[in-house]
Amino acid sequence: MSDDVKWTKTISDVNDGILANLEKPHPSYYVAWTLAIIFVGIGIASWAYQVTYGMGAAGLNSPVYWGVYITDFVFWVGIGHAGTLISAILFLFRAKWRNTVARGAEAMTVFAVITAGLFPLIHVGRLWFAAYWMGPLPNTNNLWVNFRSPLEWDVFAISTYLTISLLFWYMGLVPDLASIRDRVKGFKRLVYGLLSFGWRGTARQWHHYEAGYGFLAALATPLVLSVHSIVSWDFAMSIQPGWHTTIFPPYFVAGAILSGCAMVYTLLVPIRTMFRFEGFIKEEHLEACIKLTLLTSTLVFYAYAIEFVVAWYSGNPYEWAIFVKRAVGPYAFYFWVMVFCNCIFPLVWWSKKMRNNIAVSMVVAILINVGMWFERYNIIVSSLVEDFIPGSWGHYEPSLIEIGLTFGSFGWFFFWFLIFCKFFPIVSMSELKLIMPKPLSTKKNS
Amino acid sequence: MKKRPGGILAVFQYLDHLTDAMKKANVRGDFDGHEVFSPTSYHEIEEAGDFGSSPVKWFTFVGAMTGTILGFGLCLYMDYDWGLVVGGKTPGVPSLPAYVVIGFELTILLGGIATIIGMLVMCKLPNPTQRILDERFTDDRFGIFVPNATLDGEQAKILKACGADEIRLIEA
Repeated sequence: MSDDVKWTKTISDVNDGILANLEKPHPSYYVAWTLAIIFVGIGIASWAYQVTYGMGAAGLNSPVYWGVYITDFVFWVGIGHAGTLISAILFLFRAKWRNTVARGAEAMTVFAVITAGLFPLIHVGRLWFAAYWMGPLPNTNNLWVNFRSPLEWDVFAISTYLTISLLFWYMGLVPDLASIRDRVKGFKRLVYGLLSFGWRGTARQWHHYEAGYGFLAALATPLVLSVHSIVSWDFAMSIQPGWHTTIFPPYFVAGAILSGCAMVYTLLVPIRTMFRFEGFIKEEHLEACIKLTLLTSTLVFYAYAIEFVVAWYSGNPYEWAIFVKRAVGPYAFYFWVMVFCNCIFPLVWWSKKMRNNIAVSMVVAILINVGMWFERYNIIVSSLVEDFIPGSWGHYEPSLIEIGLTFGSFGWFFFWFLIFCKFFPIVSMSELKLIMPKPLSTKKNS
Repeated sequence: MKKRPGGILAVFQYLDHLTDAMKKANVRGDFDGHEVFSPTSYHEIEEAGDFGSSPVKWFTFVGAMTGTILGFGLCLYMDYDWGLVVGGKTPGVPSLPAYVVIGFELTILLGGIATIIGMLVMCKLPNPTQRILDERFTDDRFGIFVPNATLDGEQAKILKACGADEIRLIEA
């Protein structure tokens, strides 16, 4: 695909063009950053209220002990997945278009997983004890954690995912940080020199770097598929109707990649305009991202449909009752928002004209993000409110504290992402140069 | 501090000129210890350099295997040390299928960390006191540094003939 891209720039334009973000930013940057800080403030205030007055303030009570917090957790872990898919899996498949969007997607992964990691901590209430509950640490009761529990698997999966994503992201940054070091003077040069570890760009360094990058990509590939599978086992390993199904791992992975790709698009389009990257992140690259989103949307559509078929064909009345209630019961609103946002609206992308219409695509990408949040809410809440015992049934709506913390998480994510956009190259310069026309002499070009 | 050798530095604009020079340098004895610089990892340079297989893979392998052993070992030891009764099952009996997840995650974790360590070791990084020979090598120019060579030597003539845009002396 990217071989057909008509480049108007050469590799000599890359450093000047991409590092424009290090200069004084557009005023809209400060507006976005201020908004992010306000949202973080709302989140902190909500959390402080919950810590002061106890978990009752969160509105979690029998039978729904997993509400918005676990919805947020699964949502943010899912957002992270597209970054690793683009940086690792598409790297192994040699998809050239990834080179333009991989850095932004990797940064998104790191900040999304950090955001996700906050929610189990917030959810346990007294998070200062969480290390003892989650990690295999010696304690006065001489008890170890339960390695047979999917929640414990999740602790290992998420912490591994965060560490590997961080390493992968930073490894890709090292040559670009050296490029910045070689352009700036004084204290900045010292800082970027230290951050780039003293990278010189020798052929031998590139040789070992490429080998290491390849192995890390090979390790990250099964990791990205395993992480959301393990997150899905948090649900599927229970006997709760609507959760106990073997389709959950591929269903969750497809959903995660769908939400992540939509978020990549949502983030890159404003950045592309704000920092004038149109010459580097071409329309063909954005379209490739949309095609991947459309593919995963169809996978998710199939999963939604097959879930109903399995529930019906199983002959299990409890399972079938949950699915019927999801579609026509008190939580039908969440269900249909999920279906329309994740399955119906993306269908416009079958038209090439619509794929290349950035305004329409941006709206659809944002709607997918909304829909994917609703998907997790739908799965968690509609199953928990009604299990096998009618006497324990209940109803659940998010509390203000939970909504405040959800908005806070968006602020927290964008706060870090915007800092990254100001001080680091948003597009991988060394990888971008690889897909641009090679600097060959006129004699050989002709 | 160890003194760095002086020599000559050739700067190239074109990739094919650089690879021509690399192929010539590889077969001559008077280019010993030469270094090639590139703004990115072109495969043409890797082929011309003929560096062989990178030892980074052994770091990855050892790290990953350590992770596997540590993951399963952690679960088995803790199960042995204090068996938890889960679902009414006999405590202390290993649940190997459940431990696969921990073993897998630690395989990836330690394999990834070891890969980074391997890459840093092989690239001789961190090296914050390195010598930047030309700031354009992280931008859009290629280069070859030949230690202990002079501007009027045979090496300079070969590099010029291959298409070097400029050749300059680097002091020790």
